[in-house]
Amino acid sequence: MRLGVPQFLVVGAILTGLTGPVAAQTGGTVSGKVTDATTQAPLSGARVSIPGTTLSALTSMEGRYRLINVPAGTQSVRFSQIGYAAQTLTATVTAGQTTSLDAGLSPTPYRLDEIVTTATGEESRRSIGNAVSTVEVANLVATTPIANMNDLLVAKAPGVVVLPGALTGGGARVRIRGNSSLSLSNNPIYIVDGIRVAGDVNSTSNGIGGSGPSRINDLNPEDIESIDVVRGPSASTLYGTDAANGVIVIKTKQGRAGATVWNAYAEQGYIKDYNKYPIAYRGWRTGTTATTNSTAANTVQCLLSQVLTNSCVQDSVTSYNLWEDPESSVLGTGSRNQFGLQASGGGETVRYYVAGEWEKETGLMQLPETFQARVRELRSISEVPDEQVHPNRLRRVSVRGNINANLNDKMDVTLSSGFITSALRLPQTDNNANGIGSNGFGGPGFKNYLVTLGGAERNNLGWRQSTPDESFAMTNTQNINRSITSVTFNYRPTTWLSGRVVGGVDFISREDLELCIRDQCPFVGTNRLGFKVNNRTTFFNYTGDASLTANYNFMGIGSRSTAGVQYAKENNTRNLASASELAPGASTIDAGALLSAGEATYSSVTLGYFAEQQFSFNDRLYLTGAIRSDRNSAFGNQFKRVYYPKVAVSYVISDEDFFPKGSFLNSLRLRSALGAAGRQPGGNDAIAYFTPTTVSADNADTPGIIFSALGNPNLKPERSQELELGFDANLLNVVNLEFTYYNKNSRDALISRVVAPSVGAAATRFENIGQVRNRGVEVALNVNPVNGRSFGWDFTLSGSYNKNKIVDLGGTPPNLGTTNSDIEGYPIQGWWMRTFTYEDRNGDGLIALDELTVTPENEYIGPSMPVGEFTFFNAFELFGRKLRIQTLFDAKTGGYQLNGTERIRCDNRLNCDGVVNPNSPLEEQARAMAVRVHAARTQAGYVEKSDIIRFRELSATFTFPDRLARTFGASRMSLTAAGRNLAKITGYSGIDPDGGYFGDNIGVLSDFQTTPPPTYFTFRLNMTF
Amino acid sequence: MPTPIGNSMMLSTPSPVRRWLGAAALTGTLLAGGCDSVLEVNDPDILTEASSPASAIALRNGVFLRMTQAFSAGGDAPDGWFLLSGLMADEWQSGDTFQQRNSTDQRVVAETNSFVIDLSRRAHRVRTEARTAINSLREWAPAPASNIGLMFTMMAFAENQLGEVFCNGIPFSGIDGTTIVFGTPVSYDSAFRRAVSHADSAITNNGGANEARVANFASVVKARALLNLNQPAAAAAAVASVPTTFVYQLTHSQNSAVNANWQQNINLRRYVMGNGEGGNGIQFRSANDPRIPPAPAGLPPLAFDGVVPTVAQGLWNDRASPITIASGIEARLIEAEAALRADNTTLFLSKLNDARATDTLLTVLTDPGSEAARVDLLFRERAFWMFGTGHRLGDLRRLIRQYGRNAETVFPTGTWFKGGAYGGDVNFPIPFDETNNPEFSGCTDRNA
Repeated sequence: MRLGVPQFLVVGAILTGLTGPVAAQTGGTVSGKVTDATTQAPLSGARVSIPGTTLSALTSMEGRYRLINVPAGTQSVRFSQIGYAAQTLTATVTAGQTTSLDAGLSPTPYRLDEIVTTATGEESRRSIGNAVSTVEVANLVATTPIANMNDLLVAKAPGVVVLPGALTGGGARVRIRGNSSLSLSNNPIYIVDGIRVAGDVNSTSNGIGGSGPSRINDLNPEDIESIDVVRGPSASTLYGTDAANGVIVIKTKQGRAGATVWNAYAEQGYIKDYNKYPIAYRGWRTGTTATTNSTAANTVQCLLSQVLTNSCVQDSVTSYNLWEDPESSVLGTGSRNQFGLQASGGGETVRYYVAGEWEKETGLMQLPETFQARVRELRSISEVPDEQVHPNRLRRVSVRGNINANLNDKMDVTLSSGFITSALRLPQTDNNANGIGSNGFGGPGFKNYLVTLGGAERNNLGWRQSTPDESFAMTNTQNINRSITSVTFNYRPTTWLSGRVVGGVDFISREDLELCIRDQCPFVGTNRLGFKVNNRTTFFNYTGDASLTANYNFMGIGSRSTAGVQYAKENNTRNLASASELAPGASTIDAGALLSAGEATYSSVTLGYFAEQQFSFNDRLYLTGAIRSDRNSAFGNQFKRVYYPKVAVSYVISDEDFFPKGSFLNSLRLRSALGAAGRQPGGNDAIAYFTPTTVSADNADTPGIIFSALGNPNLKPERSQELELGFDANLLNVVNLEFTYYNKNSRDALISRVVAPSVGAAATRFENIGQVRNRGVEVALNVNPVNGRSFGWDFTLSGSYNKNKIVDLGGTPPNLGTTNSDIEGYPIQGWWMRTFTYEDRNGDGLIALDELTVTPENEYIGPSMPVGEFTFFNAFELFGRKLRIQTLFDAKTGGYQLNGTERIRCDNRLNCDGVVNPNSPLEEQARAMAVRVHAARTQAGYVEKSDIIRFRELSATFTFPDRLARTFGASRMSLTAAGRNLAKITGYSGIDPDGGYFGDNIGVLSDFQTTPPPTYFTFRLNMTF
Repeated sequence: MPTPIGNSMMLSTPSPVRRWLGAAALTGTLLAGGCDSVLEVNDPDILTEASSPASAIALRNGVFLRMTQAFSAGGDAPDGWFLLSGLMADEWQSGDTFQQRNSTDQRVVAETNSFVIDLSRRAHRVRTEARTAINSLREWAPAPASNIGLMFTMMAFAENQLGEVFCNGIPFSGIDGTTIVFGTPVSYDSAFRRAVSHADSAITNNGGANEARVANFASVVKARALLNLNQPAAAAAAVASVPTTFVYQLTHSQNSAVNANWQQNINLRRYVMGNGEGGNGIQFRSANDPRIPPAPAGLPPLAFDGVVPTVAQGLWNDRASPITIASGIEARLIEAEAALRADNTTLFLSKLNDARATDTLLTVLTDPGSEAARVDLLFRERAFWMFGTGHRLGDLRRLIRQYGRNAETVFPTGTWFKGGAYGGDVNFPIPFDETNNPEFSGCTDRNA
């Protein structure tokens, strides 16, 4: 048999193992206890290992460990725990006997000995040539206001920019080191306990106008032990095709040996919106005809542009802010309730972690009593259905069972299984004619606005057309049943060889429902006649992963060889059904007069091989080379296989003898990595195909076929190559500094190349012709200046800067949009418009058309994504360290945002300050004039800097004295009060630059008739039994 | 995974090395198994082959969908050429918030207007896929020949419509299999000549039960193109045999593309009827002409933007309402125009009244007394008879091109009702996306 390159590498790696030393099979045992050197408290979950072997163990709840089959002789034993300085002790091991060895670890921000999860298994951070951020989740969720997975990632890792959702159950956008792809998704991928899981954003088939749910938010943060953020292709190489945007590796909690420990928690909270909403204005006039006389029942106004041309005279200008009027506003008080119980324990053979949680969060939008009364009267009912009073609610139950079993001293198996069932209601919002935003932001500048709809006049209480009762009657529900199950099998036949097999499936059953009962919904289209949508989708993500690792250690030179194979399959199928013109009161598909059905399928398979070889020299210099090769069902038939290579070096130079000792610099590691990863095209992008469809021909529905895609047989994955350089330094044992520079180039960038319209074919065809570059730096400074028995202080400063640039569009014309364009030399989807200047030359306080100067061509305004993000986390521990107070501030800078809400208010709703109010600032008038009156109709005046500093989190956790805890039968008890999104500083004129919805791929935020992120206050009680 | 604490149950196992070798063998098997079959996926949503008699008919049917998508149907956006071209003319006004529609109504259309880009592509798809269908029909289902004739007619219809809406310099590209064949830009006159040529092909490649219907359809399309070429006599000759009762309609249904005129004017109200727009526009609503009945009662009083009053028609009051794209009425109007151009006022009025005789609510027309008034009368008749069917923009352009009128006397002009002033566009620019065609370098001119 002729071996291909990947087969050769795998076999080579295996042979490397075969030629390794035959280790002693009958060794001794090392056991002991690991404690906090300051408090003497036992450390649970600390890692104890014999470097250069497969031998390692985690300490039990009591801090105890035991390593068996340790080769006889003098052995180095390494003890490490996150947040503590690692220690290496020496043990003299005698065959058949037990050697006792205890360790006391000192707290420090030093992080080099932490264990991070990589594609080839778990490795010490010091051996990895990349920066990998680790979020310790277990403690965070107990002490901070974390409602979902995206909250966990906000401002937690430099280079990771998270735009959290504004609605309960709404989705978030996660970007790691900027946008790399012009046409494909820029979302990272997610791995949970070794298997790929769905992390789609906008995961719904029923749009609400705003951002849909993110599937990663299905996961319960309470079940998460830690999250490793693998930021760039140089680190994600072995994750292969699809990993170019970064990988978020999630580990769920595992059982620890010892008596069963119960953790119970209860969280209560409320949600409020303290943001300032825009005011609506109206310019009244008096005239003799229906089109020149303002009344409460029409929209006739005298606008500033008409005043300037003497077309009318303003009698008066009124203003009204319905968002601040309890009779009209839908901004109420939301609530949050969460109860959970976790149990962890087990013996030496089997350990378990089981948990269950019930959660309910009701968003702050609610139907005001004024409209409830109207509905009760109109429908002759005693109570408005709850889903129409509270249109935004998430209910979720999650259970998890993780079991680790030792089959013998060489084999263990871990079953990790979680099940989530949830029901989410989402209101109609944002870019949606039926929505709250469209009608609330567009209302007239007075309250008692009379509107005739359906033959009846009613008072809209300041709403434009549809009132909240009608918007909320259009219910949108998503039901999720999701199971994520993986099995990991580890086999260590010798001290130098180990094998791992991981298999699992992420299964999601998603039901998207939308219902309008007849005569209840907005007068938009045929909605008033009622409709029902019931779309059911099943998602399967299968992962199979097998690898062998051989360790070799001789005279201070270590070798670690890994080879493996990975199979990943995604298969989604959807059935769509809808009905319109429902029978009165009916709510099912079969009650409609007009029925529609459909189905859709998506499949993708990746088969990858990988091999990695690492050499270490005296545990201080690590050289790593790796390669991954993938085949994928989405590649063109002329392209068979892609290779992603990687090299990395990590050098703990401070461990060298020549490094000055006793200086303020305690440790210093230099690191560098060069690697590549990919991004696969869509499942059918390579194929030319027809689509079957229904056609109305000569008044009869008949089957037809249309030509849908040109395909591209040469299609291959988008390839991102990255160079990363950096260092980690520990100063004075209290400061840990990480610095990283990266240069990421996406070559063969897949461009959805526009096909000239005159061809009469598909609008676009994917071609590998572009190049995008992201360069930036990331800095993280962890400081633990005080670590006493009664007082502690630690803080973290971190920041990142990213410069995104389209290097090459492959000779294609620029991709020009109305507001955003892709142009070589500038960022992806930068803001490009005709800009303007203005001057009130006659000093009349009004900006006339001739006082506006608009550029003849589009000009670059700025990037649509922030280029810099900074966070400041600070924590004090007081009163014997029983009270911990922590704060988190984060800032985003350098980005621009379109204030689309104000744009449509000025351009179309004609209720904004700059269009109506003669006392409005000149800038407001100028931008309104530019978008509404000037022939350029430019929106440039509404593109603003989106810089923001946000007081993201404040929390105070009080740990009750043990005696008090015992009175409740608990061994430990704490109470946390926390707030989230507490304040912001921004020059942005919209409500909030983080408010808005975003598309799937690039993720440009659209602040368009949207509601902003609200403020959360939560109170949480944690009890351990 | 870490080594567990302590010893667990010990199983009787083979030696570790043998077990490891077994694992290695398993891995090797997986590697060797990495054959193509592992990567195969099945997507029932698509068809990679369309090679059979039934497929040929299905491809023919697909062109019906492409026709509606390009001209008469639409969901939320875009709207179909019938609407968008009428928006630039005086048939419709924008009741919308989208700049794509507002700027079209204001006659300041950008090359990057996404609606124009999309509709351009849709119109060309009719040509391209009709050609594909013709090839398939000839190979797999040559009889009845009227199917082939119908495809040629639809090609001709699309080419004529492209010439009526776009500036000079229209490329006609295509595909050969999956290879793009770029076309060189041509004048709109060349587009009309292509339409005439393909209409002739339709008449030649005809036969079977539908022969007469297809022939009538092709004749009207040919005559329309000939009118655009300023050959009224030839146009009249082309439709001489088309009966006044003939209609060819694009139909719509719940399960296919819905009628865009209903969708955008009645259902969503993003368009309102023009009613003397920009001074020069015809008062389509106030005229109370029976050819454009009023909308059903009960529509919301304001259009989609919440500011502009709703003005709606009742010609298409259902999502499935068909739209007539060629008719015997149009044939008579063409004959009337030919008579007018031949200074035969009697025949001119006779042809107009022949058409009006089909509607008992219409009175008999008399001579308005002057040449200019006769031209006005002709185009007013055309405007009411063929309202919302994609004829009006071409007619306004012909008034400039063939009758010497000034653009500012035929198009809406002055202060645009939503703010600002009307621009000077009398046609649509070839969209910027066409620059992906290396043969294209922009409109030759923007003349009418």
